[in-house]
Amino acid sequence: MRLQGTSKHCALVIAGVRRSRRPLPQHPRHSSTSTINADEISHFSRLSSQWWDERGEFALLHKMNPVRVQFVRGKLLEAARDDAVSGHEELEIERNDNAGRTLDGLDVLDVGCGGGLLSESLSRLGARTVGVDASASNIAIASMHASLDPWFSNATPSSSTPQRKYLEYRHASAEDLVQEPKRFDVVCSMEVLEHVDNPAGFLRSCAELVKPGGHLFLSTISRTPLSYLLTIFAAEQALRLVAPGTHTYNKFVKPSELVDFFCKPVSSSESKPWITRLYDGSPTRREAEVRGIVYVPWKGEWMLAPRGAPGATACNYLFWVRKPLDC
Amino acid sequence: MPCRLTPLIRRAVLSKGRHRQSRRLFATHSNNDEWDIVIVGGGPNGLALASALVASQPIRESLRIALVEAADLDKVRQWTPDSDTYSNRVSSITNASKDFMQKIGCWTHVDRHRTNPIAEMQVWDGVSDSRITFSASDMKHQVNAEIDGVKAIAHMTENLNIQCGLLRNLAERGAVSIIDKVKVSQIVREQKEGGGWPLVHTSDGRVLRTRLLVGADGFNSPVRAYAGIESFGWSYDTRAIVATLFHPPRGLGLHVPNTTAYQRFLPTGPIAFLPLTSTASSLVWSTKPDLAEAISKSDPAVLATMVNAAFRLPEISMRHLHHFLLGETATIDALLEEVRWRERSHDIDPHSAYSTFTSTSQDGIPPGDYDSIPPIVTSIQPGSIASFPIRFNHAESYIGESDEGARTALIGDAAHTIHPLAGQGLNMGLADADALAACVHNAVVLGNDIGSRTALIPYARARYFENHKLLAATDKLHKLYSTTLGPVVWARSVGLEVVNELDSVKEALMMSAGGNSSSSYDPSPANRSNAGDSLWPMAARGVEVLSGTFDTAKLVGKGLGGLAASNVTKLLSSYAKR
Ligand SMILES: Cc1cc2nc3c(=O)[nH]c(=O)nc-3n(C[C@H](O)[C@H](O)[C@H](O)COP(=O)(O)OP(=O)(O)OC[C@H]3O[C@@H](n4cnc5c(N)ncnc54)[C@H](O)[C@@H]3O)c2cc1C
Ligand SMILES: C[S@@+](CC[C@H](N)C(=O)[O-])C[C@H]1O[C@@H](n2cnc3c(N)ncnc32)[C@H](O)[C@@H]1O
Repeated sequence: MRLQGTSKHCALVIAGVRRSRRPLPQHPRHSSTSTINADEISHFSRLSSQWWDERGEFALLHKMNPVRVQFVRGKLLEAARDDAVSGHEELEIERNDNAGRTLDGLDVLDVGCGGGLLSESLSRLGARTVGVDASASNIAIASMHASLDPWFSNATPSSSTPQRKYLEYRHASAEDLVQEPKRFDVVCSMEVLEHVDNPAGFLRSCAELVKPGGHLFLSTISRTPLSYLLTIFAAEQALRLVAPGTHTYNKFVKPSELVDFFCKPVSSSESKPWITRLYDGSPTRREAEVRGIVYVPWKGEWMLAPRGAPGATACNYLFWVRKPLDC
Repeated sequence: MPCRLTPLIRRAVLSKGRHRQSRRLFATHSNNDEWDIVIVGGGPNGLALASALVASQPIRESLRIALVEAADLDKVRQWTPDSDTYSNRVSSITNASKDFMQKIGCWTHVDRHRTNPIAEMQVWDGVSDSRITFSASDMKHQVNAEIDGVKAIAHMTENLNIQCGLLRNLAERGAVSIIDKVKVSQIVREQKEGGGWPLVHTSDGRVLRTRLLVGADGFNSPVRAYAGIESFGWSYDTRAIVATLFHPPRGLGLHVPNTTAYQRFLPTGPIAFLPLTSTASSLVWSTKPDLAEAISKSDPAVLATMVNAAFRLPEISMRHLHHFLLGETATIDALLEEVRWRERSHDIDPHSAYSTFTSTSQDGIPPGDYDSIPPIVTSIQPGSIASFPIRFNHAESYIGESDEGARTALIGDAAHTIHPLAGQGLNMGLADADALAACVHNAVVLGNDIGSRTALIPYARARYFENHKLLAATDKLHKLYSTTLGPVVWARSVGLEVVNELDSVKEALMMSAGGNSSSSYDPSPANRSNAGDSLWPMAARGVEVLSGTFDTAKLVGKGLGGLAASNVTKLLSSYAKR
């Protein structure tokens, strides 16, 4: 299956590069697990024991994590400041941020949480975090790892035990959660979109899980010759930084395609789109944002590219969009 | 595409209901003391790290921090020294270190009456007498170099003064549990699937389980041993004699402030005179172990005489005095007679500052050359003579690299031990503390696990190479000056080597070590302290200092012909262009 994928990749590249922009592939919604690609899930399940080896298979993801959190934190702070009616009062979120609890009191969902890299961070920052993944073994690893950390354990707090953080893992898909009544202030799905079938359906589920006025954060890989070169050719095949078969080129989604998706009402139940206007193809800062995230090999670090940096979103990028209060 | 389910997924999907019921917030822990950071070692660096950590509000409000120290820290807390006695353990604190201590709120707790600025440093070659002078006025762009109107290269103070200030600062913040009079007896790794955390066993029977274990535990670091971090180094065939020296005011009746540090490089090792007050200074004399031992056992007047001679007599006579002292007849009177005889045979003018005997009996007018050497030492504070072995040591890494060493970091002498000739050991440790605290702060505000490699790597990156440069430069200086080999001395005397030394002496003595970022606790990425970025101002400052010492370098070549001067000029300008 995936491991024989080299020739498949090449074919797809050619097809992908030629077609520059397309609507997100859709499938009729027919099953609660329709976005799950079985090959993808077994691929990640096989690698699951390696999630927390910071120098192993997921090293690049470990390094990327602080930058993703930096983006989430920055965007939430910015939105809270925008929301504040009077600029004089000290914002609750800023008070929390100064105390290292930026996400205090927020309900946060991490879809496709894998080993829980992002979930743990969000929980440490105070979010009531639920991590879900389609792979049972990932959920098992994530739970085991969290059990090592007293911040996440359920012992009764005492003077010699630390603060309690809320972190819960479930083996479930976004579609499963849609069936339940609970909605979230923040939904994150990092490095998942490029691994799902029916990305439009997947996004719709994620979007539906966001409370009105809440936030959706995604990170994924654009579909460009550069991204093919870096993520498939270099990282998987030449350098073996990542297991071959981790990525499939034609599943990569361009930032403009995400923007387009949210320029139309997300579902039939919503009357207006999340993104209402574009300037030069870009959404306004209060509705959505695309930011490139670039690996700097000589520093061994990822960097959040400055807003609007040319070419920065040609490979890995972060995407934020806010659900209108009235939609 | 139809939805395909592999058996694995099907099973998973089917069992989802059960998963949902068993959703859990993870197993309960055993009754360990749970900590986020355990610092082993309450020396100046361990205390500085603790202070730096709790200077950050997010750290203070979210992390549980303990510091374990074997010694009784009450002795440090209750430090109330007589106003005219001084501890023999003093350090020169660079401006960068002072800024760091100001930033973390401890400098205000340091007793300012017991700090002394160094406005000038004079360093010379004991064999060729080539001399370089550094002055605070050369540091045009250094901010905060000035305190009370005095521009300083560094400040001398007792280590106890700093430790006491740090402890007061910690008492005020109250966010660190200080566990003193307790020794770490054993450190083991918890056996758990997925990677256990360090378990610190203490002599009072506690077991501290910690997310991050920091070794600030000195040269024999138990944390380094636990983490399996190898270190590389050797003992120099040298011991450092320390003592508190008393002397008349510098410049006698002129009352010149005692703010010049002197260091003379003898082939047996450098001797340094470090000013504390107008009439007290501290000695750090690195020399051969046999001489150090003989001096420690003798009448303190012997040390005083030897110190005066060591700054004054030609190197050849120092060699003879060395032998003399190791002989049977080394009484103070015999030693004085020997020195007197040597001064005469070297034609030293009895009215010059280079004479041990006459410059003390002046009528208030100092000899014209008084400022090129320290004042005459008249007595030594009783009980202040001690000596320490001198080592070079550098850990292979500052964070535990193997699984076994996960969640550990080293700072200060646990990570590196340096020859005291550049007075940088403590400053390097303070810079480590600054960088590690910044790293922890950045991890906390981004929800990162502060014990993870991802969180700690920037610390190692910020400090390892910086420290390595200083260690190497200092070692090179020691070796360069321990030789009396003709060609090397000749090269030194004509200023060829002097240029290289200028580079590394300057680097080592004046600017490199110390807290390096005034913004380390600002987590925004633009301001995140970063080794690469901080090189630029440093390099720029280096050029500044060099051009400031340019005239001095020319003076060094004075009388040595155009060759030396032109070489100096060429090299200096090529450095400046770099
Ligand atoms: C002669 C001399 C002159 C110097 N001059 C200067 C100078 O001018 N400027 C300068 O910057 N530096 C100078 N230094 C260097 C400086 O003194 C050291 O670098 C500095 O003191 C190191 O501090 P530290 O906190 O890292 O280690 P230490 O001071 O060695 O502290 C380690 C602490 O850990 C504790 N410890 C160790 N093991 C355990 C255990 N198992 N359980 C509990 N506690 C434990 C010890 O009790 C100790 O208190 C000089 C050094 C010497 C020898
Ligand atoms: C590259 S990993 C990213 C993990 C994690 N979000 C992170 O960035 O650290 C992709 C994860 O998405 C999961 N996944 C893929 N398709 C999914 C779907 N349709 N629903 C939920 N999880 C999915 C996989 O099991 C895998 O753990």
